[in-house]
Amino acid sequence: MRRLLKKASRHFLYLHPWQLVIAILGITLGVAVVISIDLALESALHAFKQTTQALSGKASYRIIASDGGLDEKLYTHLRVGQGVQNLSPVVNGYVHSTAITAKTFKLVGIDPLIENTFQSAWRQDNKTGNNLRLITEPNTVLISQQTAQSMQLQIGDSFPVTTDTGQHILKIINWLPENNARELFTHLLITDISTAQELFGVIGKLSTIDVVLAHDPAATIQRIRQALPANVLLMPLNEQAESLRQMTQAFSLNLTALGMLSLLMGMFLIYNTVSFLVIQRRLLFGSLRSIGVTRQQICRLIIEEALLLAMIGTVLGILLGVILGHSLLPLISGTINALYFPVDHSVLKLSPLQIGKGCLLGIATTLLAVLVPAWEAYRLPPHRLLLRSELESGVRRFIQSAAWLAVLFIFLGLSLVLLTGNNISMGLAGIFLMLFGFALLTPQVSFVLMTMLERLLARSPSVLVRLPVRMVKAEISRTGCAIATLMIVVAATIGMDLMIGSFRQTVSEWVQISLPADLYVSLSGNMQASHKSAADHSLKQQLAKLNEVEMLSSVLRTQLFRGHTRNKVSVFEINEKSRQGFIFKQQSHEIWTAFNHQNSVFVTEPYAYHHGLELGDNILLRTAQGEQAFAIIAIYADYSGDQGHLAMSRNNYLRYWPDLGFSGIGIYAKEGSNMIQLEARVKQLLQPYQAVKSEKAIYQLSMQLFEQTFRITETLRWLAGMIAFLGVFSALMAIQFERTRQFGILRAIGMTSGQLSWLISIETGLMGLIAGLFAVPVGFIMAYLFIFVVYLRSFGWTLAFYFNAGVVFQGFMLALVAAVLAAVLPALKMAHTRPADALRNE
Amino acid sequence: MIKKSAIEISQLCKYYLESGRQHVIFKDLSLSVMAGEFIVLLGRSGSGKSTLLNLISGLDPPSKGHIEVNDIHLCELTEQQRTIFRRHHIGFVFQAYNLIPTLTVAENVLLALELIHAISDYDRDQVVNLLTQLDLADCLDAYPDRLSGGEQQRVAIARALIHNPDIILADEPTGNLDIDTGKQVLALLENLVRKAGKTLIMATHSEEVTGKADRVFVIKNKALTWVTDKR
Repeated sequence: MRRLLKKASRHFLYLHPWQLVIAILGITLGVAVVISIDLALESALHAFKQTTQALSGKASYRIIASDGGLDEKLYTHLRVGQGVQNLSPVVNGYVHSTAITAKTFKLVGIDPLIENTFQSAWRQDNKTGNNLRLITEPNTVLISQQTAQSMQLQIGDSFPVTTDTGQHILKIINWLPENNARELFTHLLITDISTAQELFGVIGKLSTIDVVLAHDPAATIQRIRQALPANVLLMPLNEQAESLRQMTQAFSLNLTALGMLSLLMGMFLIYNTVSFLVIQRRLLFGSLRSIGVTRQQICRLIIEEALLLAMIGTVLGILLGVILGHSLLPLISGTINALYFPVDHSVLKLSPLQIGKGCLLGIATTLLAVLVPAWEAYRLPPHRLLLRSELESGVRRFIQSAAWLAVLFIFLGLSLVLLTGNNISMGLAGIFLMLFGFALLTPQVSFVLMTMLERLLARSPSVLVRLPVRMVKAEISRTGCAIATLMIVVAATIGMDLMIGSFRQTVSEWVQISLPADLYVSLSGNMQASHKSAADHSLKQQLAKLNEVEMLSSVLRTQLFRGHTRNKVSVFEINEKSRQGFIFKQQSHEIWTAFNHQNSVFVTEPYAYHHGLELGDNILLRTAQGEQAFAIIAIYADYSGDQGHLAMSRNNYLRYWPDLGFSGIGIYAKEGSNMIQLEARVKQLLQPYQAVKSEKAIYQLSMQLFEQTFRITETLRWLAGMIAFLGVFSALMAIQFERTRQFGILRAIGMTSGQLSWLISIETGLMGLIAGLFAVPVGFIMAYLFIFVVYLRSFGWTLAFYFNAGVVFQGFMLALVAAVLAAVLPALKMAHTRPADALRNE
Repeated sequence: MIKKSAIEISQLCKYYLESGRQHVIFKDLSLSVMAGEFIVLLGRSGSGKSTLLNLISGLDPPSKGHIEVNDIHLCELTEQQRTIFRRHHIGFVFQAYNLIPTLTVAENVLLALELIHAISDYDRDQVVNLLTQLDLADCLDAYPDRLSGGEQQRVAIARALIHNPDIILADEPTGNLDIDTGKQVLALLENLVRKAGKTLIMATHSEEVTGKADRVFVIKNKALTWVTDKR
């Protein structure tokens, strides 16, 4: 009997293959978006972790300093003086090659003799003796064979590279090994530590010292820590990697939330389609129940079908997710690279856990979506299944109850948002709950609006005018869900557009204010380099002597230790004009006097937020003389990163830390100066690795970076929107195709296909209108919550809300146009269907 | 007085393709119906009665042959033109009533008029009068799913007659009704049509109806055979 039962039910599905396809597509796309984000994020962060692990081998700790680097003598002191074995000194940095194609390599200088203990992934067998050639022959490197071949190089060939100290020639003496880590070595060069020190101009300095703890680790750690100067730390490697990873937590969470939004839309799509498939077969189910099929059998049939769709959709979704992940990976890696830390070129890695996650998501979402329609089919007695009017009146009672439930969800969601402090996950959960609530409310809102419109049109003599309104209202079981889905999509679009627009406007204004100088000179370079400070000062003096220059400001971007973490610090030389470049959110009195002459700092908003700091708090920073307290005298806006940083005057900085030169110099031109000439004259004074840009150019670059970071959001938004529009289309088309017989009647009594097309368009247009109207306030609420809750909690940024009427209008029109477009296919179909055939349609 | 021919059918063929095979419904069918005649088409289910009515009304185009209704050559009309023709000249009563479920009884009947011209108070009065004649005065604002089968069919009859068409086509109008209700509906239909002097072609497999018809034909073996002629 089961076989016949399934056949009876599935025959309907075979007759409506496109509905089947849409249902599967909804699951596929929803799962694909979530999987692709997860995959790309995990792959990008995993690559970072793997690279760190591959290069550090068995090293479990790392000795690091702030940006000034480690003194080489410390290494000797630890090895010889303290007897600490298994230490590996490392110098690393980036070199640029233009051989054949432009490439940037990470160049790592190590001690080849010591690396045996560390068993780093790059390690060669000593039999070849090539490790020693790294020491004996200067400027020799190991490189990946694949990379070399792409550069048309062989062992023994040389190629030019550029660093801060100029151009150098490197010689390939061997390949990096073909092992599991070979993919990480695509942009890696290994050389001797002396070569690296010369290339970067950091003679006598080290970037880090890696430590392998073999015997009695606790004692060794103690010995090392006691020997370290105050501004040098011993950190567990996994802790460092983990803290870096945590930096991206908010970013990851927000991306994941976007993915979940896609899944939510997918869920509505599945619910839409499955409930249609159930409603459309209600006569079949009613007939089956009438002849003795139990409600459990019907329910099981529906759930089994849904599971089958879920499995097909999930498998396709995972496959599509991998493909999408490939496209997202460069975007996500690029953003992490730009905003957080360098992520070397990542490769997509699909793990069994991710496949499991995808399967669970796809199946769980489908089952959740199918619960209500399955329950309806289970609950209703056969005669009510057979009577369409009973179904609709039952649905009308249901949507009234759903409206109350919706209010509860919205209230709960709002409570979650307002009462969960700084918790990002709770904030996002609250927003999702509210969104879900608004979706639940939509059918009732639609019903009420149509009733009001019907009353308004009651005075019209025309029956045709009332017909579309009646159609929407009479079949609220279908139209309500389609309108809800469309509303969610458009609300999400409006909300995200308003949010991104507000963010863009805030950042734009901030960038313009924080660039008070006319020109900016960028002094990139390795701060550990011995010549850098003197060279930077010399350059500053030359710039000050230029006729057109009225005054200068400078900044040094470095890192200092606060407790066991490195914190970014901007060290400023401020003049009167550059004071205007700060947007203070909170400030004490007489801040500039305190800034220049007292132990004080400004902190950025994100920094204050993430560390729970307020005006007047003290920050303890490690110096060579021990920890020093710096009072927070102002909190200012900064959108250049979400971790935030401190700002300190150069006077204060030089009291405790070495002069590392400058990262940038701001040039304030005299009134009436020719900026083009001035820029040219400044350029003449600069080295090849230094650059000068106008504040306009920097503004444009900054906004480009902003757009780049939001490209992921935009891409995902379009994907999510596609899913949802697909669902809405299918729902609206299904509604119309279901009325084939009704349309046949209208054609039989004399309605032309043109008139019928108008009727269909007006009906779907009405649904679009309701969705659009409701989406506007919901979109506003979403934008507001994203700006003032999610972004604040995630990144510590306070943004201004900028209302853009164009966005709202666009969203509203999107709803209307999508709905009207959904009428095109049914209208075309009816135009080509003979009325007689339409009348025969069941 | 020489009665004018309302419907002229000659050499009419209708077939359809299914699973690559051609199924012939009827072949070389010819028929001439005078204005005001009551014609009954008999035949088993699937014999092509409904198809013939669909062809006459322009709901379906023929595969071959000619159909002329009130001097209008249906085969020369486009689909749009056939629809407009049907709007003005044909009143169709279906077996399954085919009322619009989202319109009230009165609105279902008014719709047929609104497709021809803008509705006036006179039209409304006409609708009310007709529905009263059909004993539906209490159901004007009711929706079809609240009516019995007989009531729904009476609404369908009203819709078919309200715009004063020349030809009424009824496709097994009592097929879904019990015997007594069916008799009532048939009597009503015949009475209204005869009174107005309309041409009525009714497809049925009920032999009881044949006694009231002017001529009776049977569709059998893909052809139309004349059975009785009271003229």
